Amino acid sequence: MTLLRTLRPERVLLLLVFLGVLVLMMLWKPYALIEGLQRGGLYALIALPMALILGVVGIINLAHGEFMMLGAYFAYWLGVYTGLDPLVAMVPALAAFALLGATTYLVTIRRALKAPELNQLLLTFGIAMVAAEFANLMWTSQPLKPHLSYVYSSMTLGKLRFGTYAFVYTGGALLLLALLTLFLRRTRLGRAALAVGQNPRGAKLVGIDINRTYLLIFSVSIALVGAIGAMFLTRHSVFPAAGAAFTMKSFCLIAMAGIGNLPGVVWGGFGLGVAEALVLSFRGYGGWADVVFFAVLVAVIMGKSYRRQTA
Amino acid sequence: MSLKRKAVGSRMWALAVLVVIGAGLLVAAEGTIKLGAVLPLGDITGKQGSKGMQLAVAEINAAGGVLGRQLELIVVDDESKPDKGAAAIDKLATVDNVDVFIGGMSSGVHLGELPALKKYEKVTVWIGAASSLVEQAVVGLDWYFHIHPWDYLQGASYVEGWAAIQAGYSGVTINKVFWAYEEGAFGTSSYQGSLVAFSNWENVGESFKSALLGGGDYRAVLRHAQEFNPDLFIWVGYAADALPIMEQAKEIGFTPPLFVGSPPGWPADFGGSPLANGVMAYGMWAPSIKNVSPVSQHFWDAYIAMFNENPATYFAPLGYTNVYVVAEAIARAGTLEKAALITALEATNYASPVGETLTFTPSNLIAHQGFRSQKILQWQYGQQQVIWPFEYATAVLDYPYTGK
Repeated sequence: MTLLRTLRPERVLLLLVFLGVLVLMMLWKPYALIEGLQRGGLYALIALPMALILGVVGIINLAHGEFMMLGAYFAYWLGVYTGLDPLVAMVPALAAFALLGATTYLVTIRRALKAPELNQLLLTFGIAMVAAEFANLMWTSQPLKPHLSYVYSSMTLGKLRFGTYAFVYTGGALLLLALLTLFLRRTRLGRAALAVGQNPRGAKLVGIDINRTYLLIFSVSIALVGAIGAMFLTRHSVFPAAGAAFTMKSFCLIAMAGIGNLPGVVWGGFGLGVAEALVLSFRGYGGWADVVFFAVLVAVIMGKSYRRQTA
Repeated sequence: MSLKRKAVGSRMWALAVLVVIGAGLLVAAEGTIKLGAVLPLGDITGKQGSKGMQLAVAEINAAGGVLGRQLELIVVDDESKPDKGAAAIDKLATVDNVDVFIGGMSSGVHLGELPALKKYEKVTVWIGAASSLVEQAVVGLDWYFHIHPWDYLQGASYVEGWAAIQAGYSGVTINKVFWAYEEGAFGTSSYQGSLVAFSNWENVGESFKSALLGGGDYRAVLRHAQEFNPDLFIWVGYAADALPIMEQAKEIGFTPPLFVGSPPGWPADFGGSPLANGVMAYGMWAPSIKNVSPVSQHFWDAYIAMFNENPATYFAPLGYTNVYVVAEAIARAGTLEKAALITALEATNYASPVGETLTFTPSNLIAHQGFRSQKILQWQYGQQQVIWPFEYATAVLDYPYTGK
C-alpha cells in the first residue's frame, strides 16, 4: 500500500500499459516476447559496465565491445588448453580483465581525463583498433566457437517450443543490476564512486581519492565486460570485429536511459529487444529491426527532452 | 719480351673483369620472375591463399625455376578494402615492377583494383571475385584470366548438381526451398541470382543480420522457415553464423531434410560439432578430394609439411594453382613477352589440386574463364565429403538431415 501511495498516477498508467503490452504479446506473439527478453537481456548485460564507466569516470569507452571480444577469446583459449567451460571461465576472466582494465587506465585513460572529450573519444577508439588488430594478428579473422550442447536446451509448453538457455542473459542483466545497485548504494566504495560521478570536485573536497575511485570503477567495468565476453561466447562466434556492434548498441542504450541510470539501461534493453523481436516475427520485415531500434531510441530521447522542457 | 708479356697479361685481366661485369649485368637483367599477389592477409582465405602460392613457388624454385630463373612472390595485403587493393596494384607495378599479377579475392575489392590493373595492362590471373559485376568490368581485356567460376556459373552448377542428386538418390525430392540470406550485398546478390537459376523450385527468401554485422539471433528467420516446411533450407551468410545457426535450429526443433550452408569459409571448429553432421555445403574443394586425386594428395601433404597446419579453405589449393598455371605458361611461352604469354595461358591444361583440370574457355562475357562449376559437399563425421559431381564423390549422401 505504501508503495502504491508513493507511485505517481502517470507511472501507474505506464506500468499498466507495459503489463498490458506484455500480456497482449504473450497471447499474440509469444516467441517475440520470449526471444525479445532474451536478446534484450544480452544488450543490457553488455551495456551495464559501459554505463558504470560513463556514469562515474565520465568517459565514453569506445573500446567497450573490444574488451568483450577479448574476454570471449580468453574464455575460448582457456577452454582449448584447460577444458574449462566458458561459464566457468568467467571467474578467471574477471581477475584477468580487472588487471587489464587497471593497466589500461593507468597507462592511457588517466592521462586523458582532463583532455577535451573529443581526445578521450579518439583515445578509446584507438584502444579499440589496437585490440581488434591484436586479435586479428593473433587469431586471424576466422570465427571461433566451442560446441556447447546446453546452449540449445529448450522447453515445450503446449505448441510453444522455445530455448531456455538464452535466459541466462536476461537473468544475468537483472543480477548484475542488483549487484551494482547494492555496490553503489550499500558500500563505502560504491557511495564514494557515486559521489565522484555526481560531483568530482565536491568529492575531492570531502577527502575521496578520485583517481583511485576512477581506477577501481574502470577496472571493475572491464573485469565485468571481460567476463560477459565469456558468457557471450557460449551462444556466439568470436572474431576480431565481434564486439564493435555492441559498443554502438550499449552507447545507444545509455543515451536512451540517461547517464548514470543503470535500471533504465536494463529496462531499455528489454524494451528494445522485445521491439526488435516483434518486428522480426513478421516474415520479410527483418530489415526493419534496426530502424525500429533507432526509432525507439530517438523517440525516447525526444520524449525525455520534451518532459524536461515542460517540467 | 717481358714488357709484351706484361701487356698481354693486363689485357687478359681486363677481359676477365669485363666478362665478370658482363655476366653480372646479364644476371641482373634476367633476375627473378616477379609475381605480384594482392590478398587479404587478415582473413584466413587470403592467408592460406598466400601460403598456397608460397608452396608452389618453393616447389618450382626447388625444381630449377622457370626458364632458368627463380620465381619471386611479392604479396601485398589489401586489408579487404578496395582502395588498399588499388594502392597495392600501383605499388606492385611501379615499385616492384612485377611481371604478372596474381591473387586475389572479394568482388568489391577487385572492382576497386580494376582501374589500376587496366592502367598497367599486365597479364593478370585472378583466383577469386566471383560477381558477374566483375565480369562485366573486364569484358574485352585479352590479358585478364579468371579462375573462380562466376556467380551465375556456380548457380547453374548447383542446379545441375541438385538435379543429379535427386536422380541419383531415390527419396530425395526438392520442390520447396527456403533461403535465409544475410542482408548485405553478398547474401542479397546470391539469393537474387539463385532465384533465376532455381526458377523451377518454389522459393521463399528472408534476410537476416549476420553476426559479422552485429547480428547473431537467427531464431525468427528459422521459425519462418520451419512454418514453410521446406524440402531444402539454405542459409547464405558468413562463417561466424555457421555454428550459432545450427544451435538455434536445434533449439527450436527445425530439421529440414536438406540443411545447406553457403558461407565463403567454415569456422575452424564446425566439423567438431555433432550438429554439423549431415549439413550440406558448396565449395570448390574439400580435404577429402585427396582420397581421389593424387595432385590434391600431394598438395595436402606438402602444405602441411611446409606450414604445419591443415589447409582449411579452398583458396589454399587455388593459390597453389594460381602460381603453377602462370609458371607453366611462362615455361611454354619461353618468354615473358605479353602476347606470347597470353597465348601460352590460353593453352593451359593443368591438373589442379581442387580436382578438375583447369583450362581457359569463354564465359558469357570474357574469353578466359577457368573453372565453371562448384561442388556439392556434405559434412560427415567432422569431414567435408564430396557428394557431387559424382566423378569426384568421396561419400554417399547422408539423407535426411536429423540434427543429431
